[in-house]
Amino acid sequence: MSRHTLRQGEAPTMPRAAFLDLARPSRRHWLGYLLLAPAVLLIGLIIVYPLFVSVDLSFQNVNIARLDQARRPFTTANYERLFASEDFWNACWVTFKLVVIVSTGCFLLGMATALLVNNRFKGQALARLLVALPWAVPEVIAVVIFAWLFDSSFGLMNWIFIKLGLVDTTINWFSSPSASFAVVCVVMIWKGYPFVSIMLLAGLQSIPEDFYNAARVDGASAWQRLLNITIPSLMPVLGVTLVLVMLWVFRDFSIIYVLTGGGPLKATQSLSIMTYEQAFGFFKMGYASAIGVITLIVCIIASRLMIARAPDTM
Amino acid sequence: MKRNRLDSVLLYATAILTCALLVFPIYWLVVTALSEPDQLRQLPPKFWPDQPRWGVFAQILAERPILQWLGNSALAAIGAVTLSMTVSVLAGYSLSRFKVRGGQSLGLFILTAKMLPATLLVIPLFGIFRQLELIGSLWSIILAHATLIIPFTTWMLKGYFDTIPRELEQAAMVDGCSPLGAMVRVILPVSAPGLAATALYGFVLSWSDYAYARTFLTNAQTNWTANLGITTMKGEYVSNWSDISAASILVALPILLIYLFLERYLVGGLTAGSDK
Amino acid sequence: MPRTRLFLSAAAVALALAAGFASSAALAQGKVLKFVSWQKDERGVGDWWGSVIKEFEATHPGVKIEWTKVERGAYADTMTTLFAGGKPPDIVHLASFEFQKFADNGWLEPLDGYIKDAKLDMKGWAGQDTCIFNKQTVCTMMLYFGYFLAYNEEMLRKEGLEVPKNYAEFLVAARKLTKDLNGDGIIDQFGTGHETKGGGGQYMSEMMNYTLDAGGRWTNDAGKVTIDTPQMVEGLSRWKTIVKDSLTPRDLAAGEVRQMFADGKIALKTDGPWLWPIIQKGKAKDQIKLAMSPFSPPVGGSSNVLGIASDIPKDNKKLVWDFIQIATSDKFQSSYATLGASPPPSPRADVSAASKETPHFDLLVQATKAAADAKVDRIPKGLELVFNEFAKMVMEESQRMIIQDLDPKIVAATMQRKAEALQKQ
Repeated sequence: MSRHTLRQGEAPTMPRAAFLDLARPSRRHWLGYLLLAPAVLLIGLIIVYPLFVSVDLSFQNVNIARLDQARRPFTTANYERLFASEDFWNACWVTFKLVVIVSTGCFLLGMATALLVNNRFKGQALARLLVALPWAVPEVIAVVIFAWLFDSSFGLMNWIFIKLGLVDTTINWFSSPSASFAVVCVVMIWKGYPFVSIMLLAGLQSIPEDFYNAARVDGASAWQRLLNITIPSLMPVLGVTLVLVMLWVFRDFSIIYVLTGGGPLKATQSLSIMTYEQAFGFFKMGYASAIGVITLIVCIIASRLMIARAPDTM
Repeated sequence: MKRNRLDSVLLYATAILTCALLVFPIYWLVVTALSEPDQLRQLPPKFWPDQPRWGVFAQILAERPILQWLGNSALAAIGAVTLSMTVSVLAGYSLSRFKVRGGQSLGLFILTAKMLPATLLVIPLFGIFRQLELIGSLWSIILAHATLIIPFTTWMLKGYFDTIPRELEQAAMVDGCSPLGAMVRVILPVSAPGLAATALYGFVLSWSDYAYARTFLTNAQTNWTANLGITTMKGEYVSNWSDISAASILVALPILLIYLFLERYLVGGLTAGSDK
Repeated sequence: MPRTRLFLSAAAVALALAAGFASSAALAQGKVLKFVSWQKDERGVGDWWGSVIKEFEATHPGVKIEWTKVERGAYADTMTTLFAGGKPPDIVHLASFEFQKFADNGWLEPLDGYIKDAKLDMKGWAGQDTCIFNKQTVCTMMLYFGYFLAYNEEMLRKEGLEVPKNYAEFLVAARKLTKDLNGDGIIDQFGTGHETKGGGGQYMSEMMNYTLDAGGRWTNDAGKVTIDTPQMVEGLSRWKTIVKDSLTPRDLAAGEVRQMFADGKIALKTDGPWLWPIIQKGKAKDQIKLAMSPFSPPVGGSSNVLGIASDIPKDNKKLVWDFIQIATSDKFQSSYATLGASPPPSPRADVSAASKETPHFDLLVQATKAAADAKVDRIPKGLELVFNEFAKMVMEESQRMIIQDLDPKIVAATMQRKAEALQKQ
């Protein structure tokens, strides 16, 4: 598709001062820049400049960031300390596990619920609404809900698990590294799957019914229809959704912070939590910025890879 | 498409079971709120309290400034969404329609900005807001939330504008509209569902924030957002799941209602950019 | 840093409206003193603060006190953020184990001049020594406390148990009292209760019940770390027993544990004076009795301090000092005893009313004295400035001991090593 089809189609209308005549073909791209300007300015002020500051901070031995004080001498000590720190590698590993497990969980559940409510049945509209409901629940409140469900002594989950005979004694959900990691995953999947569901549902609805009818005539089973029609047609949506969900898991702070604070034994300490704790728990803002900058570099690499895989998204 | 009886039954059973399971946590929140505090720590659990204490909502509203928290959350969200939408509509349109040099890199940067953990940005923002004496003011949150929202909305709107045929503007311009006029008078009205969905998404992002509010607003109780307020209810000396649950319901309610009314737009709008 | 300035001025222009709006709104009203406290919603002591504020506002027309609550778990972090963010509260309320870091940053106004001018006699004021930092008085001590034992008499009677007098009896009783009452496989009555989730400072206080009784201290009087002593190892292994055998409900914040005790789900609990008002509102209020702690010495310490932020206008400082004077006056120290149900630090406070109203008041005084005599404090000497990190480290290593079933001796050695490293930082 050509972006310049308008050149021929444009009718000369009222005469205007040449300076402001953005309708003139030769000036049209000016308008493009003009429209971008506010965004560039704002992004520059509230994202690029702060980013510059944090990179700068990461090379100083700074406890509390104060812009009105002289810059401390340049040092790479923060990075040296970081790479030597077990905690940092642990946080990388935790973040990686979270991204993989939660994204997969969100996808399976989101896909399943989307396929379910894509069926026509009475109450379909209600089901659609309910399935996506957790999306609108703020994360802090999702944590309130699950912290109580998974209470180690009187929580409903322990009672259910014991009644079902899955365990003999109550699980101390937040005393065990693996159990609390699992709870974090559950909360994140519950919060994250509706988004996948919403996106995929719209994708499903755009697949023409004819495709399925033709496949049925050819005797394709439901499973074959899913593999050969549904999934390929959903690919573009799947790509975008995957990127968005992974981004969310990668940067999420509130769920883990409010639920476990990163513990026990740093089992749920993701890079986000570690950055925040160093910055606002121990007030080592230089060191925290270094963690953040490394996170950012990981992000850039990841985004390059993901864009290569889903070219449609940009 | 015809289904046989067994399939129908299976379908309904699955649908009901799935919905019940997924919505159960929300139901449990309601049950917790309505139970007497001392009945909560009793097993077997009661799946509906004997005497639901409906008065809990009035009581919690009287005890805590929840309405004020909600008002602050709303102010912050409206401010951040207005700011973000204004710049992203323009930028999204530009990225969609004009071949702007550097547009591609900007798009890439925006995608990267989406990946920035709030916990990284919060450090320099803290220093900057300190200098501008914005710590404790709702403005700090509005600006900070804009950093969350703008990358998202710009991207979404660009995708949405891509789906709108260029012929619409062409026709408008043939009729004598300037390119800007064509955008305002033709494209924006057509994009209403997309704009609504994007704004709703931004609203939810802002409403859900905790990291920025916790860092910038803790000292200014009158400016607390709802999420921040909720987390302060778990005290050292009193901790009452019923009250926290009741407050949580009040905080989640506005956003749930908005969601219920706008769900239709949301599905269409969110995906318009990607399902072509 | 001219580059930064340039950017900043650009930012300042863009945000002038914002900043202007914010500050003009603040100026439009009368004078407001900011007071941040974690005790705002607390029964008893919270009411007492409320009465001090009321008195202050009544005697200072046109000045309002904006009282903000910050939850205990995030308190030190939040307060540091406020000071670092250039927006300190005027009236500084801190736990006694965290103020040192603030004083070290020069954030607390020295009070010696004020005390001298006001001729305030701090002699015999409990715990006031703690407030002297680098030879300057930077705060006034608001509470020094000692832990006592609260027990559910009915539960003990049902098991035929006496009130425990030492750790061995306590352990036996706790084991017997931890049980599944209705046979569903879930423990619903606990022998004792400790916070095991939340901040490191609180976690440490809970552990100290056992480590102190075993004769262990984190550091000695010279500030040298002494965690690898046999006494500390014994203390750690006691803590491990109590938690690992689930004689306490797990993963609860302090508030929840106290609530459970007051509602009759926990049989024995050692805690400070703040427990009493919570018991009074609980379901098991009539079954609960108090006694001296079975642990000797009991956990104790200075609890919280009041000071003036150094980074505020001069006339605000004067007002804050007035506030401190009201809080430390004989009248309010006496009402502190009644409302807060705890012994006030002032030697001049009239506690006869409190003695009459609160039947166990003498016991509280006795517990406080026992802790004070043994020079118990929650802040280990020599680790004041890194207390946050130290407490977090102790909590984590203890959790590791419990989760991975490690030998307390090895854990003590690890703690010793890490604590020494922190000290050197």
